[in-house]
Amino acid sequence: MTKADTRRFFFAGTLLFTAVFIGLTVHTHMSVAERTNADALTAEVARGFRGWERYNCENCHTLLGEGAYFAPDLTQIVSQRGKGYLTAFLADPSRFYSEERDGRLMPTLGLSEAEISDVIDFLDWVGRIDTNGWPPRPILVSGVVTRGLPGVEVVVAGTPAERGRAVFEGKGACAGCHSRTQGEVLVGPPLAGIAGAAAERTGSADYHGSARSAADYLRESVLAPSAYLVPGSQYGAGGVSFMPEHYSKMLETGEVDDLVSYLSTLQ
Amino acid sequence: MTYRSQRVAYAYFAAALVLFALQVAFGFLSLAKYLGPDPLLGVMHFATTKAIHTNLLLVWILTGFMGAAYYLVPEESRTEIWSERLAWLQLGLWLAVGVSAVVCYLLEITAGRKFLEQPFPLKIGIVVVMLMFLGNLAMTIRQAGRFTTTEGVLMGGLVATALLFLPGLIPFDNYTLDRFYRWWVVHLWVEGVWELVMGALLAFLLIRLSGADREVMEKWLYVIVGLTFLSGILGTGHHYYWIGTPRYWLFVGGIFSALEPLAFLGMAAYAYNIVRRSGLAHPNSLALHWTIGSAVFSAIGAGILGLAHTFPQVNQWTHGTHVTTMHGHMAFFGAYAMINLAIISYALPGLTGRSDEERQTTLGLWAFWLMVGGMFGMTMALAAAGMGQTYLERILGFGYLEAQRKIQVHYLMWLATSVVFACGVAAYVWDFVRAGAPRAQPGAAAAA
Repeated sequence: MTKADTRRFFFAGTLLFTAVFIGLTVHTHMSVAERTNADALTAEVARGFRGWERYNCENCHTLLGEGAYFAPDLTQIVSQRGKGYLTAFLADPSRFYSEERDGRLMPTLGLSEAEISDVIDFLDWVGRIDTNGWPPRPILVSGVVTRGLPGVEVVVAGTPAERGRAVFEGKGACAGCHSRTQGEVLVGPPLAGIAGAAAERTGSADYHGSARSAADYLRESVLAPSAYLVPGSQYGAGGVSFMPEHYSKMLETGEVDDLVSYLSTLQ
Repeated sequence: MTYRSQRVAYAYFAAALVLFALQVAFGFLSLAKYLGPDPLLGVMHFATTKAIHTNLLLVWILTGFMGAAYYLVPEESRTEIWSERLAWLQLGLWLAVGVSAVVCYLLEITAGRKFLEQPFPLKIGIVVVMLMFLGNLAMTIRQAGRFTTTEGVLMGGLVATALLFLPGLIPFDNYTLDRFYRWWVVHLWVEGVWELVMGALLAFLLIRLSGADREVMEKWLYVIVGLTFLSGILGTGHHYYWIGTPRYWLFVGGIFSALEPLAFLGMAAYAYNIVRRSGLAHPNSLALHWTIGSAVFSAIGAGILGLAHTFPQVNQWTHGTHVTTMHGHMAFFGAYAMINLAIISYALPGLTGRSDEERQTTLGLWAFWLMVGGMFGMTMALAAAGMGQTYLERILGFGYLEAQRKIQVHYLMWLATSVVFACGVAAYVWDFVRAGAPRAQPGAAAAA
């Protein structure tokens, strides 16, 4: 093998693989519109992306796993936390997190209302991109949602309350926002003693929902979170709870029943 | 130095080392925030210190490459630089752009794309600097009429670096497309054309340090850079697994990025063969240490540790965790920082008018072993942090904040090993300062 041979290897290989790469690039470029729902890419989403860049978000956070590793991944954040919560959070993160308690605190960036709304629209749009199934399991900000090991089937049998606990810690991801320790606030109100509190609330004068029993109250707070707002500006704004309203679609009726059974044990 | 105008390389090397030291300082600032609580929270965010840390990395590596080119091209083409004044002007403009970028980041003015945060006018400044640089080198080669394969590969790498910067100037509203073309710059730089620069510098150093036959060395250089592009171009696919691009990239990226270590292993084999044939007899033992060290460290950091998380089956769990930080630190250091430190160590005695024999090497060897040991420790600490994070957060289901709390101890190890590394950087810089300013008549000075 001479130098002329290896030179030919270099040039021929480079040309060939460059050509293949450009071919795949053209195909990818054309298929991105469909995979990213480009028709839902509104002016708000585009402005939100400019805001995302302007405030240097990806030098702390990751999005689709790209960025820096100092703050949580935001790929699914809008479906996990809901727009209401994120609107309040972005206006002043220190209302929701503290460095002492959580180890990290996002700086208050002084975003305008329009900037906040745009960046949430942008994140919402990114969350719907076809990512070939990434992440394989939800990535959470806080709390613990145990899911067992991949490939190891978790058989949930036992009493309704035991099955409900599995929903709370697993499929429902309730534990990602609600602590079960008195006084520990992750995102939503802590649920230690919720069974007793539920009974009290249904009987109180500020309660305007339709539940008449503690169990009905618990079911209502899962399926229609805004029916009753726990006092505190970190839980809702303008009469609307920060809790997402998608649990009626996300959980089966039986699972909601199990969840209510479990919550009823939190005395 | 053989040619008077090569002295400009000294200024580039000095600037590169100042920027390197600053990069380490901003690394510490960023790391301190991981340990928290952060007294600078409202003043200088993590996003700011981290962007400055990574930008200084790119800037100092490129400054070193430029200095290396201004040192190497006159040697290879046997001529003075076409315009020394243009080379000085280029350095001035380059540093002005670099300093302006850092000032912009401190004022929170940023384009907000990782590695490409430079505001648009500064990006144009970078393009102008690259044109001055490449024009000057092209004219130098033209006036000499002598063009070796080694400098051809170097020039190829530098021209491609400039060209591949251009896709980064195009704005996209679609986040997926933005990511897609951002990797054209970042991936094709560090896992593509920069390897040409590294390969050329390695070949130059090995030929000079061992007296190996140029024809043989340049023959194998073509094989190495051939393997780089064979694997690296389609290896870009490992960034296209999860960003909204078609599924076939899992296959393409998985296969070709698995081949990427070949080029780095080739470089390590290249260096190993030279050592076996010619031994370590060259009097510039510091340059030898850094050259062989770079070949070995890049094979591990860029080659093996990259391979560790490049398959989609693994990457779906590790994507966006400290596993990437681990690979990134050792790869950049092994491939690009060390080859720069090698060429600086090689050129310094000549540039400052001292012979290799009269040089004190104790401090330089401390610098080498402290940096190598420190970086190895940092890689291990980050590997533990990354694996812990992957397991707790991605597999078991702990929230990000919970998982971070549990891997805090590895950040302490990261800090401890960083201190070792920083001592090595300080020793290297002090050794450089101690060597003195450039002198015009190296041969005469050494004889006296």
